Amino acid sequence: MNKRRARFLVFKAPSRQELEGYAFVLPCVLMLLLVLGFPVTIAVLNSFTPLWSEAKTFTLENYVKLARDDLFWNALSITLRFVGSTVLLHLIVGLAVAVALNAQIKGHRFFRVIAILPWTVPDVISGLIWRFMYNPTSGIINDLVRSSGVTRSYIEWLAHPRLALPSVIFSDVWRGYPFVMIILLAGLQAIPRELYEAARVDGATAFQEFRHITIPLLKRMIIISVALDTIWQFRRFGLVYNMTFGGPGHVTEILSLYVYKQYFRYFNFEYASAVAVVMAVIMLIISFPYVRMIVRRV
Amino acid sequence: MKGKRRRGAVIAYLFLALVCLYNLAPFVWMVFTSLKTDKEAYAIPPTFWPQEPTSEAYTQVLLWTNFPRYFLNSTVISLGTALLSTLIGSLAGYGFSRFIFRGRATLIGIILASQMLPGVLLVGPYFKVLAKFGLYNTYPGLILAFTSITLPFSTWMLKGYIDTVPEELDQAALIDGCTRLGAYSRVILPVIAPGMVATMIFAFLLAWGDLLWVLVLTSGDKMATVTLGLSRLVTQFRIIWPQLMAGSAVGALPPVILYLVLQNYLVEGLTAGAVKE
Repeated sequence: MNKRRARFLVFKAPSRQELEGYAFVLPCVLMLLLVLGFPVTIAVLNSFTPLWSEAKTFTLENYVKLARDDLFWNALSITLRFVGSTVLLHLIVGLAVAVALNAQIKGHRFFRVIAILPWTVPDVISGLIWRFMYNPTSGIINDLVRSSGVTRSYIEWLAHPRLALPSVIFSDVWRGYPFVMIILLAGLQAIPRELYEAARVDGATAFQEFRHITIPLLKRMIIISVALDTIWQFRRFGLVYNMTFGGPGHVTEILSLYVYKQYFRYFNFEYASAVAVVMAVIMLIISFPYVRMIVRRV
Repeated sequence: MKGKRRRGAVIAYLFLALVCLYNLAPFVWMVFTSLKTDKEAYAIPPTFWPQEPTSEAYTQVLLWTNFPRYFLNSTVISLGTALLSTLIGSLAGYGFSRFIFRGRATLIGIILASQMLPGVLLVGPYFKVLAKFGLYNTYPGLILAFTSITLPFSTWMLKGYIDTVPEELDQAALIDGCTRLGAYSRVILPVIAPGMVATMIFAFLLAWGDLLWVLVLTSGDKMATVTLGLSRLVTQFRIIWPQLMAGSAVGALPPVILYLVLQNYLVEGLTAGAVKE
């Protein structure tokens, strides 16, 4: 303990090896300060003090306003529902597909290519495709629903207050599960096959194998894929922007869209900064265990 | 025993066939719609197969709009971002992988945590600041902005790759009289070429698919990208779906081709870099 503290108190000239290390990471650190550190500082400052107006006084006004802003709480709740459901569904579908691909059947390479395909398409474009598929009169989804005889009406998937968010979530499952699947598949492939053979000899059922071999050995990969997916889903923007733009009303207005609107529709720069800062803090808190888990191993 | 395994394979096949159907259906719908006439696309009930397939929508989009320009912009910006973040990221990845120095763990933690910062936190300041430096609505401005998203994970992915290369290689190069930079560029870079490719594809895909930044940091058509062009088409009063789907198909083509050609790199890169043990 003492030794450790001393290292901080006594300045020791860095060794040659340390200097070389600094030299290699320096461009990256400088770049990150420029493209991340600088704008983040501005955003945080701006949420407390209007930087682009006459009266430059410190104020908590924006955060007080935020606490009372129903639309902010709405956006937060929509975001949590959107992120929670998409991440969970990505995991379920991704795990199922990964297990099937890991069965080493003939042609699994071909199936893997197809399974990853939706993820390569920009979310803006998948949003547009699904938007037309959801079209009440000329879309393929309503046509299938109608011809199956469930209903004769033209359902407004994206304009109905109750259906809009589930519809957006459903289309995001298509777009996003392959990413989780790739990571889980890599994890599955690392599990020694002998374990399954031994279990089979002991007369384990397929479910028991899954429950007692696959899941425990896949735990780390599941945590990592869920953490990464949560990060990406929290930032999702283009998909919702093009499918509903947050509507009808505000029922699909996720936080990123809400901040964007505050910035560039209503030009409330200080307020938008405050909402974005809160959003960043939430993301940092959620991902803290993940970052700690990784850093401990470096 | 054998029969049980056989049944498992049959179930896997059936399930994967369903997955293929689910994954490909939206692509088929996009391509079929793009081959329809405007009138047919609005038919009630919709047709599935194009009744009179026509490339009209593609001609319209490619010849009568600024779409080729958007395509060029997307390419330049995405390539620039991929190259810049992979170059700087590989240097830093090498530094983090090969050297122990004070503040190393802290820096890695900060780089990882910086991935959590949402884009909307940054776009406001970028919007205000880039104009001051004459970088608003320019390629360098957009490439810098995208680097803020791609650099942290590029660094992390490449560090993961370099960790898998034995340090004896560096030592051998140093003994042969290479400088550290020489060991990095002549010995390590060629070995981790697959990782570089994977990182570049990943950065390219991210930049190509982005909408938020181009929405905020460009104006007019000069710097607009494919995603922005398509998003503008969809906010028009009357959406011409065949054209929009034609544009989407063309816009999805580069990522899909990149992936199909280099899929092994990408899959390995994602799993080796993002998920290293």
